[in-house]
Amino acid sequence: MSNNLLLIAAREFRQIAATRSFWLTLLIMPLFMAGGPIASKLMKQDRAQSVMIIDQSGGETGKQVARRISLNEQRIIMIELVRHIDRRNISLPKSAAWAQKGRRQDDQAVEQFVAAGGQQAALAAIRAVSPTAAQAFDLPEPGYRLVKTPPSLIAQTPQSLSQALEPYLRPADTAKQKPVDYIMLIPRDFGASPAVGLWVNGQPRASFLTLVQGELAGSLRAHYLTGNGVSPDIAKRVDALFPAIAVTTPPAGTGRDRVLIRSIVPVISAFVLLMALLLSGNWMLQTTVEERSNKLLETVLACASPNELMYGKLCGTVALGLTMVTTWVACALFAAYATQGDMAALIRPALEPVSTPANIVTIIYFFITGYVSISMIFLVLGVMSDSMQEAQGFLTPVLFLIMIPLTLLAPAILDGGTSIGLSVMTWVPLYTPFTILARLGGGIPAWEVIGSGLLLLAFVTAELVLLGRVFRACLLNSGRRPSLKAIFQMMRAPN
Amino acid sequence: MTALQLDRVSKSFGDFKAVDDLSFAVAPGEVFGFLGGNGAGKTTSLRMILDILRPDAGSISVLGEPPGRGNSALLGFLPEERGLYRSMTAIETIVYFGRLKKMAAADARRAGMALLDRFGLAAFAKASVDKLSKGMAQKVQLAAAIVNKPKLLILDEPFSGLDPLNQGLLEEEILRAAKSGAAVVFSTHVMQHAERLCDRLLFLAHGRKLFEGDQDQARATVPQHLTLIAQQSPAGLAVVTDAIQTGAHDDGWFAWEARLAPGFSSADLLQHCTANGFALRGFEHHRPGMHDVFVHIVGSAEGLS
Repeated sequence: MSNNLLLIAAREFRQIAATRSFWLTLLIMPLFMAGGPIASKLMKQDRAQSVMIIDQSGGETGKQVARRISLNEQRIIMIELVRHIDRRNISLPKSAAWAQKGRRQDDQAVEQFVAAGGQQAALAAIRAVSPTAAQAFDLPEPGYRLVKTPPSLIAQTPQSLSQALEPYLRPADTAKQKPVDYIMLIPRDFGASPAVGLWVNGQPRASFLTLVQGELAGSLRAHYLTGNGVSPDIAKRVDALFPAIAVTTPPAGTGRDRVLIRSIVPVISAFVLLMALLLSGNWMLQTTVEERSNKLLETVLACASPNELMYGKLCGTVALGLTMVTTWVACALFAAYATQGDMAALIRPALEPVSTPANIVTIIYFFITGYVSISMIFLVLGVMSDSMQEAQGFLTPVLFLIMIPLTLLAPAILDGGTSIGLSVMTWVPLYTPFTILARLGGGIPAWEVIGSGLLLLAFVTAELVLLGRVFRACLLNSGRRPSLKAIFQMMRAPN
Repeated sequence: MTALQLDRVSKSFGDFKAVDDLSFAVAPGEVFGFLGGNGAGKTTSLRMILDILRPDAGSISVLGEPPGRGNSALLGFLPEERGLYRSMTAIETIVYFGRLKKMAAADARRAGMALLDRFGLAAFAKASVDKLSKGMAQKVQLAAAIVNKPKLLILDEPFSGLDPLNQGLLEEEILRAAKSGAAVVFSTHVMQHAERLCDRLLFLAHGRKLFEGDQDQARATVPQHLTLIAQQSPAGLAVVTDAIQTGAHDDGWFAWEARLAPGFSSADLLQHCTANGFALRGFEHHRPGMHDVFVHIVGSAEGLS
């Protein structure tokens, strides 16, 4: 590598690294990572929907619906606790029945969980084994919240009820009270009649309808059976007849979760590459436009060849991108270490696909070739422009070309990573680096990695030759914005 | 050894011939003026000497070598369109260009500081370029061009945009470089500088060489003008092409503007008058300036004279 090339690369690096925008960008990512969860908590809204039950049938059916809602909330907490200890490979003593292998998740199991102390007792049991795991548990947001029913509403006639409910469904702005999301009326003749009223403040959730429908259907069945001579005790037992489903889940990080977990780091690395590329490419564009608009190029070209200038600027930009990414990775590792290994335990399966030597080489290869292939485009755009305004005119369509297909990348990967679109993008050199990086987690055949890698190398070589000609031809062509035809002519003619 | 030699060099851009069969040589220690109007081919020629452009035909020898960055350590170049990296300091800029010319960083810094000191900018060595005045920035650029003590210094329209003080400074530096043995080639269309500095000149129009030689030879190409006080018209003299009466004096004497025939000097006229008894009361020789020479040579070629 020539001395001039290194000098130009170092100058390019220093000039960009000396700007405030570089340091702001370098710090924004770690701050975003650190501040993201906090901001997310601050922005979190109470998504639990309020439910009011007006039971004019005696109160028993209303109590059963309320119990069903409450049991359902407890079931969600229990399932989340089970997933939490599974992810950390934590085994709890037999006293924690909810945490045992082959456990059931039916009403009886949930009632046992609640009777044993519910979430508080479960967390105490986890804490005894792993205090950090207990601390890391995030209580799931409740889906529904029961609100007290004013006695005056129970006494309302069906004709007057709608009007009486108005202040609860649509309270006045001055009332400082939240509207009730669901108001359910169980009429006096429920049992003999299946009719039930439901006032909703918006579209009802399907899960809510299924929940209450199941419970009310049980009540109707019991009423029907007792009405046809079946003893209340037997009717209650019939109502309690449910299949006992024993749930067996695969070990943490396997099954359908596998692709998802293993794809997290690769997909993030693809987007980090994209972000670093767009940022450093934009800076390189600015420095190139500055060199042109400040009439600097002729002075530089008297000492350094156009190729030294071109490769020097590319090397400086790649070094800048690597610095940014290394800093971000170091911050992530520091954060993992600072959280006393808890995060590390969580992301261990996510890091698996990127920690084999072959995959590390793959990542570095596609990172660098990807960087050069896109940076070359930015460099040529810079050298064709006399001002940033002119450069933006060239840049906008190019950014659309790069960005729009990549917005589809993450959903396609997290959806299993087997779509035809992904296979096609793998073989389009402009998208190859991002697609290969993102697909590493889900597994990608070696021939596809090698084949697309070679194609990308050929593309980068062609870029360096053809766009290199455009770069050299445009270096001293100030004041003339080349047409597309002129650009193709420059590509064809060796300088 | 010649410092610079061009032999039948041509360069075209599409159908436009920018330089046509150009040959000249510059010796070490010589200040060589490369003169011509706008679009004459001066910048293209200088870019070919620096290997920024390649000639279509002919050959160029720079300090005994073909053009290329291999000899950048011995070259200094100040382009017509000047600029600097705005965020770099004055001394960083000089060191950067010094290092591109293969100097060691420490040597470039030492030489750069000495130049800044000589240009009265030592106190601004660590000031970034965007904080310098235009005149200061021009001095920094000159320092960057000569920091390596070049054997061949090429200056493209070096005086354009300079205030009179900086023009004087640049003239001093050109003469200093030539005294130290460097060949200096500069292009200009401001003839006063050429007149003060150049040992030899080359006039260029439409890419073709029109004249090459020293200042006296250049002046000799322009018809000589004289103001004569005589009683009768000197138009009849054999060495005079034409004469116009421009005024009348007492006692039948008149003022005449006479133009000498090509190849004849004012001394020839005097001798002719004496030999032929042509009475003269006044005789004033107008020495043509380089401006007149430029207009005569370049203007004729461009059809403007």
